[in-house]
Order: sequence, then C-alpha cells, then structure tokens
Amino acid sequence: MPKGMIILVSVVMLLLWCSQATYAHESVVLIANPSTQPGNMTRETVRAIFAMRQRTLPDGEAAHVFVLPDKHPLHERFTKEILGVYPHQLRLSWDRLVFSGTGQAPNQVKSIEEMRQRVANTPGGLGYLEKGAVDDSVSVFAVE
Amino acid sequence: MIASAFLQWSNQRCRYLYVTALVMATMASSISAARADVFDTVQAHGFLSQALIISRHNDFFGPSSKDAGSLQYTEVGANVSMRPSNNLLVSAQVLSRRAGDDNSSYEPRLDYGLLDYQFITGNNRVAGVQIGKLKQPFGIYNQTRDVAFTRPSILLPQSIYFDRTRAPALSSEGVSVYEEEHLPFGILYFQAGVGKANTDSNVKHTIWNSNVPASIDGALSSIGQVVYEHGPGNIIAALTIADANIDIDGPHGAPDRYSFKPIIMSLQYNHGYWSLTGEYALRHQSFTGGSFDQSVVGESWYLQYTQRFLEDWQWLLRYDSLVNNRDDPKGKKFEADGRGADHSQFARDWTLGLQWNATPDLLLSTEYHHVNGTGWLPRDQDVSDQYWGMFLLQASWRF
Repeated sequence: MPKGMIILVSVVMLLLWCSQATYAHESVVLIANPSTQPGNMTRETVRAIFAMRQRTLPDGEAAHVFVLPDKHPLHERFTKEILGVYPHQLRLSWDRLVFSGTGQAPNQVKSIEEMRQRVANTPGGLGYLEKGAVDDSVSVFAVE
Repeated sequence: MIASAFLQWSNQRCRYLYVTALVMATMASSISAARADVFDTVQAHGFLSQALIISRHNDFFGPSSKDAGSLQYTEVGANVSMRPSNNLLVSAQVLSRRAGDDNSSYEPRLDYGLLDYQFITGNNRVAGVQIGKLKQPFGIYNQTRDVAFTRPSILLPQSIYFDRTRAPALSSEGVSVYEEEHLPFGILYFQAGVGKANTDSNVKHTIWNSNVPASIDGALSSIGQVVYEHGPGNIIAALTIADANIDIDGPHGAPDRYSFKPIIMSLQYNHGYWSLTGEYALRHQSFTGGSFDQSVVGESWYLQYTQRFLEDWQWLLRYDSLVNNRDDPKGKKFEADGRGADHSQFARDWTLGLQWNATPDLLLSTEYHHVNGTGWLPRDQDVSDQYWGMFLLQASWRF
C-alpha cells in the first residue's frame, strides 16, 4: 500500500475514532420537578422558556429555570443540542430582558448535583442533566 | 464621580422610586400571605461602565481632544424585579448616565418601571401587556442601549442610536401589548405601544438650537415593531415604526409641536461565532404650528460585522452613515443658506473595535472611529473639523 494511502486511511480512522469519542457522551435531557405537568412542549416553547421570554408552562404553572454557568460543558451541550443556540447568544438574550425590565435571569446553579436538587425541590422547576444522571427525584421530558 | 452623581439624587426622582417601591411592597405583602415563595423570585442586577475617550480635532462626550482625553462617559444602573404571581412581572431600573459635561443630566433617574402581565402562554403563542414607564422597542439595540454588555461596541452606530434626541426614542410612559407566535420554522414577534414621549434638556437644545425661553412636554406618541426570528435566531428581521411627539410652549409665532417619525428596517444574520447586522432608517422630523410648517427627512444606515474568537474575544468592523436631510445630502444648500458648515449635515464613520469578556462579569472594550462629517456631534460645538477620529477604552462591570 502506498505511503500516502496509509496516511489517508490513518487520518480517516482517527477522525472516525474522534467522532465516536464525541458520541460517547450521553445525551442531555430536559428535566422537571416531578409535580410539574409540562405536557408536550415543543422546541420553540422550551426555547422561549429557557430564553426567559415565556414565564409559565403551557398548563399555567410558573416556570423556574435552572442553568449551569455559561462555560460548563453540560450547559454548552444543552444550549447547542436542545435549544440550538450558543451560550453567549442565550446570555445576550437574558441581558436584554433583564436590563429592559421585560424578563428575569434564570437561576444559576454551581454543579450538576445542585441542579438535580434545586429542580427536585422547586415546583415548576426546569433544568437539564445527562441521561445517566437522572434519578427518581426528577422527571424527564421529551422535546418534540 | 459616581458618588457625586448619587449625591445629586433629586427629590422628584426619589418620589418616583418611593412610589415604585411602595407598589412593589404592597403587591408583595398582599400575595406573600398566600405564598412566601414569591420572595424567592426577587432579583437585583446592575452595571457600571466607565470610558476614556481620546479624540483628534473634535470633542465627543467632554473635552476628549484636550490633554489626556475625557472621562465624561459613565453609565451606572441598578434594577429589581419580582414575579408576584405566575403571569406577572414587576420591575424597575434606576440609571445615572453622564455623556459629556451637560450639567445635571447624570443625576439618577427612573429608566423604566413597569408591570408585565402575560395572559397567554401556550405552545404556539405568548401574549402580554406592559404598563408603566417602558423602554421603546426601537431597532435592535435601543431597549438596553445603556448597558455595555448588550452592545457590540462602546458606542452604538450613532446614525440611528444618536444621543441628541435619545430621550423620546428611549422610553415613554404608557401601555404596550406584545404577542409572540411560534411558527414551525421560527418566531413572529409583534409589539405596539402608546404613551407620553420622554424628554430632556438635550431634546430641547436640539429642537431650539438656541436659548429661546420655551418649555417642552411629551405628547401622545406611538410605536410598533414586527420581528421575525428564523430558527433559533439565525436570521432576525425587524421593522419598527414610531411617531414621537413633543409639545412646545414658546414665544409667539413659534412652532407648537415637534414630531419625530422614524421607520427602521433591521436585518441580522447570526452564524454562532459571527454576525452580520444592518439597519436602515428614514427619519421624518417636523415642526408645525405658529408660522412654521417645516419638515425634513434624514437617512441613516450601517453595516456591521462581528466575530468571536478565543471564546471570550470579539472584534467588530462597521461602516455607519448619517444624512440629516435627504434633499441636501452633502449639506451644500445648508451652507449656501448661511446656516452652518456643509459637513455638519452628514457623518460617515468607520469603526474598528475589540471586546474581551475578562470574566463573566467584567467586559473590557476598545475601539477606533474614523469619521468624515460632524452630523451627530452636539450642535453647541461651533468649531468643528470635517475629518476627525477618536479612540475609546471602556471597562464595564455587572452583577
């Protein structure tokens, strides 16, 4: 096999391995307080609630949004995979609401464990976790 | 400087705040009997920005072309908000802003104070009403134009977000309704408001361009905005139409009304790490009443590219153009009529900027402006050069 071909195959193998490594992450899921009945929420509704433009869930209950810091890897994955935006874009939309009086900032938690606890203890609480980190204290909601 | 700004706290502004605080406290106490967790929704945020401006030939916000430049660009704000019930948001912000040495204009004042009630919050639609002193949804940046963290540069494109008549464009006391429609491929957002236009001494000086004894008062004004956001905001297109009116009580024969009717078209493309933004505005201004019936149509537009890199950095390149009168874009007629220099009737500004989010709460920015024309400089500045430049540095902190 020519040398060039060996290099090419190696590069392709490496890329495949890298992409598999990326997919080795567990999927990030939307979680809610067990007493909350968000019903079927569309992606636009989830986006409107996490962008803090919509203050209640479709059933009328007040939404309490919990997020990790902007640079937390799980926050980054949640915003990109579920909301389809980058953390800095989400931060800008929060700032525009907070400083024009038309919305509030989400509640920021420091760790994944705190995220689970706060969502579990707050009626109307919404947040996110890795699928494997979910336990009975919170419910998981599919985004349509 | 900031301390002295707070010392200038006037009784009238305090009354505003007392009333707002009282309303909030009353609402809070009436609801807290039933739900103590309402207090968990109380939030307080604020910001503080200080800039240094060093310019060549002309001054901007203070004596920026002299000695070591001007520090007369300071913005300090603080707000509180709470949700007394599921659908209701109450919020108020106090702002102290110094932009040049214009006497007392940096005394703290109520920036906004409002009730926002969302009466529809479904999967397909969100609708609400706002009552109080409201920030105007004017173009892309107006509602938070004094907050450095929401601006792509230290100065917003001055052709559209200029300082001289910022008050009527900034806020009004009235009522506004909004609706957000969730479509399969994006969001359609609609807002319309009526109220009494905001005024200040800058507006008076701009209207009169002299020391004629007169008083001005905001009159019934309206604004409407339609925004379409494609996908999660990849493409944002907006149309804003406003009609801001100010009553003038001046000498015999003077006009009795000043009207400002801008139409702004905004378009933004967001590609995650870079954005291309353009806005185009036609600005109708008129004086009517008395022996006056003057109107002039100005034209403003800018094109701006921003790119994020190394995660916390962003650079910007912008071209911004202002023409005061579309019928006299180069100011030739203006000068021939003996009303002033031709270059005071337009401004073309190239801006190169850099921002660094040193921490999530600290933003450091710098930018350079190369400007041809003095169209958006303060009118009382009688000695001005056509070609000028300025260099700005700004530190901004928030909580």
